[in-house]
This record gives sequence, structure tokens and C-alpha cells, in this order.
Amino acid sequence: MTCNDYKEQLPAFLAGELNAAEASLLQTHLAECSECSAELSLLQEVWYAMAALPTEAPSATMQADFNTLLKNYRQELPHGEGLFTRISNRFRHLWRFQPRMPLAYGLLLVVLGLGLGYLVRTPAPASTPPVTASAGRIDSLATQVANMKQTLMMTLLENPSASERIRAVNYTYDINTADNKIIKALLTTLNNDPNVNVRLATLDALAKFAKEPMVREGLIQSITNQESPIVQTAIADLMVKLQEKRSVKELQQLLNKKDVNEMVKTKIEESIHQLI
Amino acid sequence: MEILSDNALMLQVKAGDLEKMGLLFQRYHRPLYGFLYHMTRQKEYSEDMVQNVFFKLLKYRHSFIGNGEFKTWMYHVARNVLSDHYRNPKNIANHYPVADVEEKSSSSRLPDQLVEAKQDVQLLAVAMDKLSNENRELLVLCRFQELRYKEIATILGINEGAVKVRVHRALQELKNHCLLLAKE
Repeated sequence: MTCNDYKEQLPAFLAGELNAAEASLLQTHLAECSECSAELSLLQEVWYAMAALPTEAPSATMQADFNTLLKNYRQELPHGEGLFTRISNRFRHLWRFQPRMPLAYGLLLVVLGLGLGYLVRTPAPASTPPVTASAGRIDSLATQVANMKQTLMMTLLENPSASERIRAVNYTYDINTADNKIIKALLTTLNNDPNVNVRLATLDALAKFAKEPMVREGLIQSITNQESPIVQTAIADLMVKLQEKRSVKELQQLLNKKDVNEMVKTKIEESIHQLI
Repeated sequence: MEILSDNALMLQVKAGDLEKMGLLFQRYHRPLYGFLYHMTRQKEYSEDMVQNVFFKLLKYRHSFIGNGEFKTWMYHVARNVLSDHYRNPKNIANHYPVADVEEKSSSSRLPDQLVEAKQDVQLLAVAMDKLSNENRELLVLCRFQELRYKEIATILGINEGAVKVRVHRALQELKNHCLLLAKE
């Protein structure tokens, strides 16, 4: 241990915080080291002088003052001091803590809400039996969805992007009932769309509604309008498939056109042959 | 009459026997006053604070669990009251008037030796005044309240080793102030 270590122990030594072994070790060192013992005597002087620091004596009335305070405090407390009464007082306090008026308002609101709900609800089941009502509602919902799809399709058909228009055409597969508006839109697309792929897709879609006379007529009229060899071939195929004899006249007109592809001509001739 | 421990008395207070607080006050109001007096040098403030501390002990009696000593709990509360006191700017101005000490020590005629001792004490009082609140508090707790390092550690919420180091530093500081003042 160095002198500094011993010096650090001096306050603890003065305060009596050193154990017997530490104290005797320190005392042995102090006997040998004049520097440390000088330090001890300095600290000792301060330490003992501290005890002599004047303290004004407290007033004699302090105890009496406190007793008065205690008495007043006890009187302010709710009566009864036993453990049991105090606990029950606490519970009572908890209960009192919840104001009753708001509670009553709350209950009133709940009852009012229930009553109102009942009033609003009653008329509906009185008029129609619930099963029919829900079935009717499902029907109306289905119609609504179909209408939405239709509208969406119509909008998409006017989209500048070809892929969007194909998507629009594909929507018609979801629509089972042939609506005049849809068929008209599809036929317009078939005749006027600049993109070959869109026209082909429209043709496929229209084939689904082939039972409708309007579709058949539209298709026949469209034969002469088509300029793309692929579409021409596709229509010819469809006519064969539908066994549409009325289309022969239009197909022959197509044959007579000058700029028709040779391959297509052969194909159309075949088709005419099959139809007749 | 059987002499009950502080903790036993305090637990009785907690259980509803408030009268027992009077006994605890009797046991501790003087040391507590001493602590507050040495920290503030204000008799009236210190007395008020003693009442305040005991009122708080009474009010928060339910928070006394009994696993620590009553005495350390009391000093803990007293430190809070004291820090509230320091926070009040009105009190700071009046804090620790050294002139008071001077007046009192020179009030009566004394033999030479005693005069010398009194001068030392005066010097010490000034030196104490120069200490920070933390250091003064440590020395007051250790020297005037004669609390063990372990108890001080509990009151301050630090470990015993730290108390040892801090007391050493505080006493060194006090000694140095004294030496400087003695030279003047």
C-alpha cells in the first residue's frame, strides 16, 4: 500500500469505518510515516472542530407543535382507525370515486340507443320475408356488378392501348347475356379497330354470341370490310363453323377484290366450297 | 415499558396507530433539525422543515414497507424537502449567513485559549460555507448525524465504496479551504 492509499483511509479511520485489521495496519504505517501522520493531525483538527460548530438549539415547542399537527391530522381522517375499517373505507372511497350522474347518463344513452335501433330495424322484416329479401338483394347486386363490368368494358374499348382494348374484349366472356349495347360495341371494334390482334380477339368474343341473329348479320357484313389476311381467314373459318350460308355472297365479293392475298383466296374458295 | 424499534413503531403508524408518530418525532426531531440546520443555518426554516418532513412521513406512511430502516427513509424524505427549499429563490438569499455565527461567538467574553478555538470554529464555518451542497451534506451526515457509511449509501442511493471516496474528497476540500483561510 502506498502513502496515498493510506491517506485515502484517513477519513474512514476518523469516522470509525475501518475494521480492526485495517485500522491496525494504518496505525503501524502512521507510526513510521511522518507525512501521513501530519496529514492525519490536520484532518483530525478539522474533524474535531466540526463537532464544535455552533448549532442553535431548536425551540422547545417543536414537540408540542407536532403533537397539535398530529391531532389535527387524525381528526381530518375518516373516523375509525382499525385496519379493517380503513380497508373498507378505501373500498368505499373507490366506489364514491365514480360519480353517479355520469353513470346514469351512460345507462340512459345505452337504453336510448337500443330503443332507436329497434325502431329503425322493425319496418324492414314486416314488408317482405327475409329470405326473398336477401335473394332479391343478391340479384340486384349481381346486376350491379354486371352493369359495372359493362361500363368498364365500354370505357376500356376506347383506350389508346391495344392490350387494354383486348382486356376489354375479354370482359365479355364474363357477361353471359348478350346485350345489344355490347354486341354493337364489339361489332364496331371488329370493323374499325386499327390493331389486328384486337380485331381477332373481338371476333373470338363475338363467336360466343353467334346464336344471336344480330351477331351473324354483323359478321357477314364485316367480311368485305376486312383487309388483314389473318382476320379474313379467321372470319371465313368462323362462317364455316357456323354453317352460315348467307355469307357466301360476301365471301365471293372478297374473292373479287384485287388486293386480296393469294393464300387467303385459296382459303376462301375452300370455305365457299364447304358452305355450299 | 417495552422499547420498540423505529421500524416497529412506524409499522404501527402504518397500521393506523398514528399516535406512535409522536414517539418517533420525539426520537428524531433533534438530529433531523441538526441536519437541516447545518445545511441551511436557518433556525426557523429548519424547524418548519422538520415539521414538514414528519408530516410527509405521516401522509405517505403507506409507502413505508419496513425492509429499510426508518432513519434512512426519514433522511431520504428530508433531502427532498431540502431540495424543494433550495429551489425556492426566496430561501437561497437567506441561506447560510456566516455573520450570524460571528455575532454569536463574540457575544460573551472568553479566556484566550477559548477565543482561539472559537476563531478556528469561525474559520471552519466559513470553509463549510464554501463547500458544495453535496459535499457539505456528506460531511454533515457523516460527522454531525454520525451515520454509518452504509446508511449514507442507502440515503443517497449510491454504494458504500462511493461514499468512502466522496467523504474523503469532501474532507480534503474542507481542509484545503481551512488552510487557505488560515493564511489570509
